[in-house]
Amino acid sequence: MQIADWIESEILNGHFESDGKVYSQYQLAEMYTINPATAAKGLNLLVDENILYKKRGLGMFVSGDAKEIIINKRKNQTLKRLVRELVLEANRLQISEIELIEMIKVANDQEAEQ
Amino acid sequence: MRVIECTDLTKTYLRKNVLDKLSFSIEENKITGLIGRNGVGKTTLLKIIAGFIKETSGQVKVFSERPYNSLNVSINSIFVDDQMSFPPAIPLGEILTVAGNFYPNWDRELAKGLFDYFSFDPKSYHNRLSKGKTSTFNMIIGLASRCPLTIFDEPTTGMDAAVRKDFYRALLKDYIAYPRTIILSSHHLDEIEDLLEDVLLIKDGKKHFQMSISELKEWAIGLKGTTEEVLNFSDGKEILFKEYFGLNTMYAVVKNDFSEPLLNKAHLVGVEILPVQSSDLCVYLTSETKGGIDDVFNKR
Repeated sequence: MQIADWIESEILNGHFESDGKVYSQYQLAEMYTINPATAAKGLNLLVDENILYKKRGLGMFVSGDAKEIIINKRKNQTLKRLVRELVLEANRLQISEIELIEMIKVANDQEAEQ
Repeated sequence: MRVIECTDLTKTYLRKNVLDKLSFSIEENKITGLIGRNGVGKTTLLKIIAGFIKETSGQVKVFSERPYNSLNVSINSIFVDDQMSFPPAIPLGEILTVAGNFYPNWDRELAKGLFDYFSFDPKSYHNRLSKGKTSTFNMIIGLASRCPLTIFDEPTTGMDAAVRKDFYRALLKDYIAYPRTIILSSHHLDEIEDLLEDVLLIKDGKKHFQMSISELKEWAIGLKGTTEEVLNFSDGKEILFKEYFGLNTMYAVVKNDFSEPLLNKAHLVGVEILPVQSSDLCVYLTSETKGGIDDVFNKR
């Protein structure tokens, strides 16, 4: 669900603060030219994960520990999957563990320099 | 509330059933995409709903009434396609005025705004418009009439990419501001899927399925890997589509009822798990023949 991903990223980079109001399904629908029902599904997904909470009649708000939940989720799901893929590809190319870790270190240093 | 209800709807042309005991309903204020291959009866169905033609048997209710010869359905619905006929002697500007007199919810400002935005000349005539311009003008009538039931049958015929994009956005914005029941038939599901809430897929004059667009997006998955592994994981499932690449690589589309651990297992042995585009899935589900275009050439 792209809408949910986008809101998560906006929370991570501080665009939406905790207890701040996020866009309504209609605002999202208009911003992305998508059906409002689809936008609502994206929002409800985040409510199910306790990243957002509903205030009856007022809209959706960012929960206090939203950032933590998102970081944990991405670490356990996305990052782990990426690492698994990385290891799989390294195995295919017969790259040793030491060599792979060295490559990660180099990439990490390059990122730090920027 | 159900705006449209069809039960065993059948339409026969020259002893051939174009619609064959079709049953479905459409809820109020949803945008539904009507999808199907060429000649499966989409236009026939929409014309029956709009009250333009009579059903052969079965029941069709629009706003709880039989649409044929119903003034109530006529006022509250509009059917837009590229064959809409307007009096050839009346210039476009006047057509807008006349249409405004017929439809109770007509928005003059919206009609005028779109008319100017798409650079129409009020003194021009409908039968002199190009294909794309005809579709654009008809779309303006369809939107500005704000009918509680708005039907667009292949509304983008002849429109260029920029106008199609503008149309989708205009449709969505006006729908958000004034929710209404909209049916959109199109061959370009990939272009309209973001606008839709539900999809109704017709095959051989029957309902093949009706589901929300989000269910459709997750309904199937593609498996890509060595032929052996892909066949292993799709064992016992109906393969909706398959394709071979290179020497030993296979892509197969199957219904997505895999458990998470099984998907992880597939991934570990090098089988890629790919989402299936809803437009592709609809093509696979509605294909008339097993196999593909290549078979025609391979037989020679």
